[in-house]
Amino acid sequence: MQFSLSKKESKNEKKHFSTAIIGGGPAGLTAAIYLGRSKVDTIVFEKITPGGYIINVEKIENYPGFPEGISGQELGQLYTLHAERFGAEIRTEEITKLTLNELPFRIKTSNGSYTSDSLILATGTSNRKIGVPGEKEFTNKGISFCATCDAPFFEGEDVVVVGAGNSGVQESLFISKFAKHITITEMLDHPTAEPILIDRLNENDKIELLVSHSVVSFKGDKLLSNVDIKNIKNGEVKNLKVKGAFIYAGDVPNNDLIKDDLELDNKGFIITDERMRTSREGIFAAGNVRNTCFRQVATAIGDGAIAAHEAYKFLEENK
Amino acid sequence: MGLISEGDREYLREEFERNLKRNVVLLYFEEKGKESEYSLQAKELLEELVALNNNLSLTLKNCDDAEEMKSEELYLCPSIKVKSERNGFVNFYGIPAGHEFTSLVEAINDMGSDNLSLPADVIEGLKEIDSPVDIKVFITHSCPYCPGAVRNAHQFSLVNEKIRGSMVDANYFEELSKEHQVSSVPHIVVNDKINFTGNVPPGMFLDKIKEALK
Repeated sequence: MQFSLSKKESKNEKKHFSTAIIGGGPAGLTAAIYLGRSKVDTIVFEKITPGGYIINVEKIENYPGFPEGISGQELGQLYTLHAERFGAEIRTEEITKLTLNELPFRIKTSNGSYTSDSLILATGTSNRKIGVPGEKEFTNKGISFCATCDAPFFEGEDVVVVGAGNSGVQESLFISKFAKHITITEMLDHPTAEPILIDRLNENDKIELLVSHSVVSFKGDKLLSNVDIKNIKNGEVKNLKVKGAFIYAGDVPNNDLIKDDLELDNKGFIITDERMRTSREGIFAAGNVRNTCFRQVATAIGDGAIAAHEAYKFLEENK
Repeated sequence: MGLISEGDREYLREEFERNLKRNVVLLYFEEKGKESEYSLQAKELLEELVALNNNLSLTLKNCDDAEEMKSEELYLCPSIKVKSERNGFVNFYGIPAGHEFTSLVEAINDMGSDNLSLPADVIEGLKEIDSPVDIKVFITHSCPYCPGAVRNAHQFSLVNEKIRGSMVDANYFEELSKEHQVSSVPHIVVNDKINFTGNVPPGMFLDKIKEALK
């Protein structure tokens, strides 16, 4: 049994910072490390737990330096400690409003108001919903987006996992510790997860992969009890009895705070140049929320370092 | 090596030193004579915690003592209740392990201080409640979203003594979880009447309480 401590209380009453970082995941915390080393007073706002989305990941195996892999929770804690070591102020507060049309930028949170001279947006992504009948009705009543949170509820049960990308396959391997049988549905005619994950999937006799299949409806009474899945090639629909469903069908950007202020691509990701500059001066974006071609921890930390470097230059030029 | 890492002990010593202005008692109710690894770890954790600050103490209780359970308004075992001179019903049914360790530390800091981190309008709304409110927050130890919901429930009880806030380990208390149809966490039950899921903002949480009181 583990005991994880989120070190988040602060007695610092400061309300203005040179840089505010929205989002305490790998990109945001890396930016905080670099800015801290540049002696820039920096605040990081994280609405859930410092570490960001990776704290939901049981094991990260493709992050350099950890040949045996590292749990997302532990990596998130290390990032947090690292950022704090160089002086970053990390607050667990949810941003309710950003005012970006003039300097200093104004930040309203669940606990108070702050200002900053520059901003790094590292708000990440959320799981995309698939938009089929029953999805809304049975969310949290059998449908889950967090395997680490909810997989234990499906001990000895049959479940379906939507999506055979890295997340879908990796989480299916985790869920297989609890569930009796897992059916993964993938709309494409092949899984898109890394080959090493596909090998593990093939070796796991609890998991069945159905490519060219999609879930077309979730059904049940008060709780989810079955799903209809459709064979995309021949149109055949069959029903599966399942108690649980986990959806990993891609990501949507967490852009609610800035979607009317910054240029976004057609999927809602923040457009940046190679220096992480957004369409508004003094505002930078890093990690999964920006229009990057590959979303990984390794790419997010690179973004975070560049964004911090550019924010520092911006502050120096505008002293 | 103990259950709490040396780095966390050092942090907690500083945190407790800064926060604890009064004595805080951890009441641990266990089934004496039927201790499981689960309950023994809880006891070990609490013993390590109280050793970190002189304002902290641990009192061991027996769940078989029905009178005592009743007087503390507890109905599941094992249970940890955090008490001080500050009003509030801050309770954990099961072990606050994993991410919930943070909830226990926050509860200790809150009971040992005058800390309150709720928006002013929510505090006013909570003060207006004049009927008993029982809040159960079902959690799993691996849920990073759960401590926020547990903290809200506990902080609500600090504002109004009619409110009881309890964390419930959903996997350990399986029957109760099934009774409330828990399949995602945090799953919150108010007065066994209103169910909702997620670490919702305090204002929305308050609205759910008001709905349960209608």
